[in-house]
Amino acid sequence: MINLLSRTIMMGTPLLFGALAEVIAERTGMMVTAIEGIFLMGAWAGFVGGYLSGSLIVGFLSAMLAGLLVAGLYGWICIYLKQHQVVTGVAINLLVAGLCSFLYRVIFGVPITPLTVSPLATIPIPLLSEIPLLGPILFNQTILTYIIYFLAPLSYFMLYKTSMGLTIRSAGENPEAVDVAGINVLTVRFLTVLLAGVMGGVAGAFYSIGFLGMFTTNIIGGRGWIAFAICFLGNWNPKGAVIGTLAFGFAEAIAIYMQSIGNSALFPNELFIALPYIMTIVLTISRKSFNVPAKLGVPYLKEN
Amino acid sequence: MATAFFELRGISKYFAKVIANQDVSFSIQRGEVLALLGENGAGKSTIMKILYGLYKADEGKLLKDGREIKIDSPKEAMELGISMIQQHFSLVPAHTVTDNIILGNVHGIIDHKLFREEIKRLAELYGFELNPDDFIRDLAVGVQQKVEILKALYQKTNLLIMDEPTAVLTPQEAENLMGFVRDFTAQGNSVIFITHKLKEVMSVADRIIVMRAGRVFGDIKRAETNELELSKLMIGRDLNWVTKEDRQESIDQEVRLEIQQVTLQEKTGVPALKDISLTLHKGEILGIAGVSGNGQQELCEIVCGAILPTKGKILLDGEDITERKIRARIDLGIGYVPADRSSDGMIMDMSIAENMLLKSSYAKKWQKRGFIDKQKLNQYTWQEIQDYSIKAPSPETIARGLSGGNQQKVVLAREVDNGEKVIVFDQPTRGLDLGAVNHVHQVILQERAKGKSVLLVSTELAEIFALSDRIAILYKGEIQGVFNSAELTTEKIGLLMAGFREREVKSDAG
Repeated sequence: MINLLSRTIMMGTPLLFGALAEVIAERTGMMVTAIEGIFLMGAWAGFVGGYLSGSLIVGFLSAMLAGLLVAGLYGWICIYLKQHQVVTGVAINLLVAGLCSFLYRVIFGVPITPLTVSPLATIPIPLLSEIPLLGPILFNQTILTYIIYFLAPLSYFMLYKTSMGLTIRSAGENPEAVDVAGINVLTVRFLTVLLAGVMGGVAGAFYSIGFLGMFTTNIIGGRGWIAFAICFLGNWNPKGAVIGTLAFGFAEAIAIYMQSIGNSALFPNELFIALPYIMTIVLTISRKSFNVPAKLGVPYLKEN
Repeated sequence: MATAFFELRGISKYFAKVIANQDVSFSIQRGEVLALLGENGAGKSTIMKILYGLYKADEGKLLKDGREIKIDSPKEAMELGISMIQQHFSLVPAHTVTDNIILGNVHGIIDHKLFREEIKRLAELYGFELNPDDFIRDLAVGVQQKVEILKALYQKTNLLIMDEPTAVLTPQEAENLMGFVRDFTAQGNSVIFITHKLKEVMSVADRIIVMRAGRVFGDIKRAETNELELSKLMIGRDLNWVTKEDRQESIDQEVRLEIQQVTLQEKTGVPALKDISLTLHKGEILGIAGVSGNGQQELCEIVCGAILPTKGKILLDGEDITERKIRARIDLGIGYVPADRSSDGMIMDMSIAENMLLKSSYAKKWQKRGFIDKQKLNQYTWQEIQDYSIKAPSPETIARGLSGGNQQKVVLAREVDNGEKVIVFDQPTRGLDLGAVNHVHQVILQERAKGKSVLLVSTELAEIFALSDRIAILYKGEIQGVFNSAELTTEKIGLLMAGFREREVKSDAG
């Protein structure tokens, strides 16, 4: 059981990276529908950077840069060219999917056995990890999990207690109010999308070099979309995102657990793999009230 | 004369190839109230948006205290002490008063307590009753406007620009606003307000700039002019105004439309309409007065069938039509001119002829062997274009290319034909210039003379008074009372619109 909960935290980490990125961007009115592509590009760049340099740090830096580029493309098309966010996102996701498998083959050919790197090691925190029950669950994780422990409350504080957060939230509710206050709405939106790209890139790299130690073309398998779903199930609030992430992380941990014990007699393995996705659908339907940013998905057009 | 506080010199502005402003020059002194008077589309808002840095002028100069200045963004305008309150408020409904006021004026970590106190003090200083913690979405429009003003005061404004500030206010709220304007300018500050209401101009302005077609046509001290002169300058020609004498006073006593105890429950549980009973006679205009958003649109949609009431009945000529669908009601002769013509009244990317067909596309008379009888439709449309003097070259003209007034005439022409018995007009003259307003009023009276029944919803009291035989006042979904129009004064109707009951009005206002 402790193992399962520890896995929950572990598998929840990249989802929370993605969901927080999505929350911040969506608060300005930008759905980052390219999140799936950002994850994938991050996973790819993380692996390539890590494998070629032999350093995971280089891997994660490459992932951040890759995420930034994909997000930059998405933001440029949606914010400055005012194109439709969903259509643009889908197009970019398809592009990235093709690009990643193409570039992987260009660099590595078709290896007989998959190329691997040794993934991020867990770092038990002295003293804290010795706490019964909580210790092994919370404080025997990778560095990314510890970072997210800080990022989650930090993003909440930023959104609700600082002028930056006020501007971000206002941009998604009534961009005109931000504009007449003398702040450039497009810049605010673009910067948050870039931030989402960086965070999403890290999240993607978690799957390739933080966990599996290799890259496959279907490594993300819709987890970007799950982060996207967590954002709105969490009511566009970092607190909600944390709760949503735990639920999805748990579902994923169960799937992995069932797979590992090979119990396919009672339930087919596919059911558990599908669990997070089924949960997305069920939770989406069952949510009653939403606190959608009023101008979510609407490009800001200024006459002139 | 002392050096002007702010001065505009030879400003021109073009949108694509349309001239929005041409060679506009005027100045404003410290402590002065300047009215910018003109019809819709005269370029009043544009010139002020240039001064506020929202638009960039193509030609001309701006000066402050005699020195040339550049204003490229609202931020720079604010630094010079200029604030502008837009016609549609730029507040964030989901945020509190405090959050809205400090947006863009704070940096780093927000000390909410400190700002709350500061805003409270500022509000008290100007006698505004405001709770800094209220959410904007919960506030009445008049209070929201105070938040906008407070936002400007918080930025230490010396020149406050207000775009049509009284359009959304009750007469009492407007009076309060004028009081504030006088106090504010008495301290050496200046106010520019954009308006098309002559009365307001005469009551508060020191000087008046009249604009027409993007140019200045008059720069006059209030003491040296009168309403008649101003209206001539504004319109450029004379109009025949509808007066009470133009109307025959006789109303048929025969009942045409009856609304019986209609209640409409919103999903949120709050009733949008509460226990409404109204009777509309043949050949009668029943005016519905009220500040917008008090259930007017719901009332109109219930009559034309777009929404069904939760409780109550609707009778047309004694027949229960409560359950009838929209199409059935169109066939029964109920016409509806919606308030928002661009979203509810017409399809902008279709031609005038196609728009004429919108509500009767299924009718046999437009068909020829299963296809649309284009020739017949175009003939009919051309006749309507003539009758309503719609400025359009042909029936095939796309609706979007017409001016607002001409678009409204298209909707009017269609609905007058559809509404053989009852026509519902929701804000029929909103956003129209005086010439078009006059035309719409003439049409309404003609239809009344033909014995049709008219339900006229308007937030313009002058319109309600000029046309209605009887007036009902709507407040928060309830009827505050139904009166013969002669029984009401502006003051009394204002109190009713603000939610006072008839009894209270009698004891309070006599």
